[in-house]
Amino acid sequence: METAIEFKNIKKSYGEKVVLEGFNLSIEKGEFITIIGSSGCGKTTALKMVNGLIHPTSGDIFVDGENIRNKNQTQLRRNIGYAIQGSVLFPHMTVEQNISYVPNLLNKRDKEKTKNAVSKWMKIVGLSEDLKHRYPSELSGGQQQRVGIARALAASPDILLMDEPFGAVDEITRRQLQAELKQIHEQTGITVLFVTHDISEALKLGTKVLVMNDGKIEQFAKPEDLLRSPATEFVKELVKKERRTCYLPEDQLSSCEFSGTSGKVSSFDAR
Amino acid sequence: MLQEMWFIFTDRIDFFLKLLLEHLEISLISILIAILFGGLVGILISEFQKTAKPTLGVINFLYTIPSISMLGFLIPFSGVGNATAIIALTVYALLPMVRNTHTGITNVDPAILEAAKGMGSTRTQILFKIKLPLAMPVIMSGIRNMVTMTIALAGIASFIGAGGLGVAIYRGITTNNTAMTMVGSLLIALLALIMDVLLGFIERRMNKRSVKAKKTNKVMAVAAVIVCLGIAGSVLINTQQKDTIQIATKPMTEQYVLGEMLDILIEQDTNLNVELTQGVGGGTSNIQPAMETGEFDIYPEYTGTGWNMVLKHDGLYTEDLFDELEKEYSEQFNMKWVGMYGFNNTYGLVVRREIAEKYNLKTYSDLKSAASNLTFGAEYDFFEREDGYDALCETYGLNFGKTMDLDIGLKYQAINQDKIDVMVIFTTDGQLSTSDVVVLEDDKQFYPSYICGNVIRAEVLEEYPELNTVLEKLNGLITDSNMAAMNYSVETENKEPRDVAEDFLRSHNLLQ
Ligand SMILES: Nc1ncnc2c1ncn2[C@@H]1O[C@H](COP(=O)(O)OP(=O)(O)O)[C@@H](O)[C@H]1O
Ligand SMILES: [Mg+2]
Repeated sequence: METAIEFKNIKKSYGEKVVLEGFNLSIEKGEFITIIGSSGCGKTTALKMVNGLIHPTSGDIFVDGENIRNKNQTQLRRNIGYAIQGSVLFPHMTVEQNISYVPNLLNKRDKEKTKNAVSKWMKIVGLSEDLKHRYPSELSGGQQQRVGIARALAASPDILLMDEPFGAVDEITRRQLQAELKQIHEQTGITVLFVTHDISEALKLGTKVLVMNDGKIEQFAKPEDLLRSPATEFVKELVKKERRTCYLPEDQLSSCEFSGTSGKVSSFDAR
Repeated sequence: MLQEMWFIFTDRIDFFLKLLLEHLEISLISILIAILFGGLVGILISEFQKTAKPTLGVINFLYTIPSISMLGFLIPFSGVGNATAIIALTVYALLPMVRNTHTGITNVDPAILEAAKGMGSTRTQILFKIKLPLAMPVIMSGIRNMVTMTIALAGIASFIGAGGLGVAIYRGITTNNTAMTMVGSLLIALLALIMDVLLGFIERRMNKRSVKAKKTNKVMAVAAVIVCLGIAGSVLINTQQKDTIQIATKPMTEQYVLGEMLDILIEQDTNLNVELTQGVGGGTSNIQPAMETGEFDIYPEYTGTGWNMVLKHDGLYTEDLFDELEKEYSEQFNMKWVGMYGFNNTYGLVVRREIAEKYNLKTYSDLKSAASNLTFGAEYDFFEREDGYDALCETYGLNFGKTMDLDIGLKYQAINQDKIDVMVIFTTDGQLSTSDVVVLEDDKQFYPSYICGNVIRAEVLEEYPELNTVLEKLNGLITDSNMAAMNYSVETENKEPRDVAEDFLRSHNLLQ
């Protein structure tokens, strides 16, 4: 398998304060990585390093085998979808203008192509065509998230970075969005990095889960491995509740399937 | 009062409309420059935050300079007239523009900016696609404040010879015509109000985000631009029809009348167009430099003032020096004195007729024997000045029984009520023509002579020789008492300077 993103010996500190240290991680193409950890442990920092919004104090990051230091940051970012909490739509642009923002940065000429991309992505994220000319303030929370996802994907990037994108929507909408995102991932084969503080969301969506604590990696494994054999006390504590929702005795936990597609995963989150 | 204002407004509607247009022109040019330049500075200091503090500091400081001083500072650099006014107005308009642009941009939600950056926007793209549109409401409200402020402030532009409604205010003040001042002020307020309502409307339209509203906005914007271009075009066409003579006058009642006479006669007798800038603030000290740069072509001046203030001689001017005066004007400035009106606006001494008859007074020297029985009155400063009371008494050996300080506005009342016997006056004072007094002769020439004539740039006279014929007609036309009577008509009877000028010319058969 090809490596999509690689963190090599990353250290990040703000003055005295060390946020990340000895951070090594290799992410393969087409993976859906969920990143979970206590608040302030450096999840956002790690994510923003991929698209160059934050530069490491030392160490290197490779995207598609190329050190991003040597890349034009703007070009790099245009190839990486980016969706953050609350989706942060541009309030002065319509749904259509929001979604076509990146395609317009890439090529202003080909209006037809952009238009088709907007329609296609609106359909995929489940937005009806007649919302095109609405402004963000005229949309529900769930609709806003969908626009946010469509906007991040509209230029068909190879990598998608998402920082707690579903943090502010209600439970039902969140479950719909999760299912849609999962489907998009399966259909496009895009590499996804998804930060969450909800362990059930992390287990449900991720093909691999990265558990972080205090700037270090606790465990990087498939969801079922995380449940089956937590590497540290921290991980054990984190997945304790999720293990119990299997209603299986300790010794039989290995037969509990925690794939995100099973649909059996509890929606009681770990917060 | 209201009735009087309405009357003067309807009577002189052309005059007021012309001023209104000028006012709008000066204000709008300043506003436009401030929007472009201030907007640019606001953007730059938001992009380079380190420069924000010092820049805002400097602009804040400029803002605290009183407008009159600002105009005063600028005159040596940009002369009198519209240019200076526009510069000053622009400087004041900058602060709200820069500050609001800066505030608007720096207050955009950083999360939105990070999203835009993370999606691969360049700095310029973030500025134009995100920051500026989101800052627009704050910038618009800044523009709205700035526009009303500029329109109000443009009222003082006339103090330095710029046009606009300030001309009506200033003329009202100098010629004691309250109704005119009030109409001018009211029109400024009205203009500011209308502009504010208009901008409020634009602001509301811009905040509407529906697609239909956007379309309507575009249509309206295009229509507005067409109307503006139309107005600008017609203004340009109107102003450039004929060759124009620029005439300036000082802020004195009699100069307003003289200015109107020149305007009437030149436009009647030649094909030239006259642009009259009445009551330039600061008088000679601002008009002379503008004459030198060619901004003005003609203005009425007094020989004594020319000698002392323009040629900067120290000594006392008498008319024996007129040839020398003409020679130096010609050599130093290439200017000529043409059309000497005849009257002499100098200081003078008057005594009540009763007293003059009693003591048989004709000259200042005659006062010597009678002085100890008489009360002498003058403004406060006459007793302080070097060439004032003490010098006068010494020259003529006078020793008055009593002296009295008087307010300039009340001194004629004092002499008419017999409170004083001898008084200092200007020889063309309007009230002189209705007071029962005798003007004495300055037999030892204590006061300089201030004969009134026109100073004209020789180049202009060469280019338009027909002006010579017109100006020659003015030679010896007006006596001291003529001028005093005309001043009286304007100041006390509240007649229009133009009407007074016209009446006078008609009675001397100079009108066709
Ligand atoms: N610009 C900054 N200056 C100083 N400290 C920062 C800065 N940005 C983040 N931090 C600190 O770095 C740590 C990690 O932040 P972050 O990656 O945002 O955490 P999270 O895992 O909650 O996303 C936090 O303790 C935060 O306070
Ligand atoms: Mg975070």
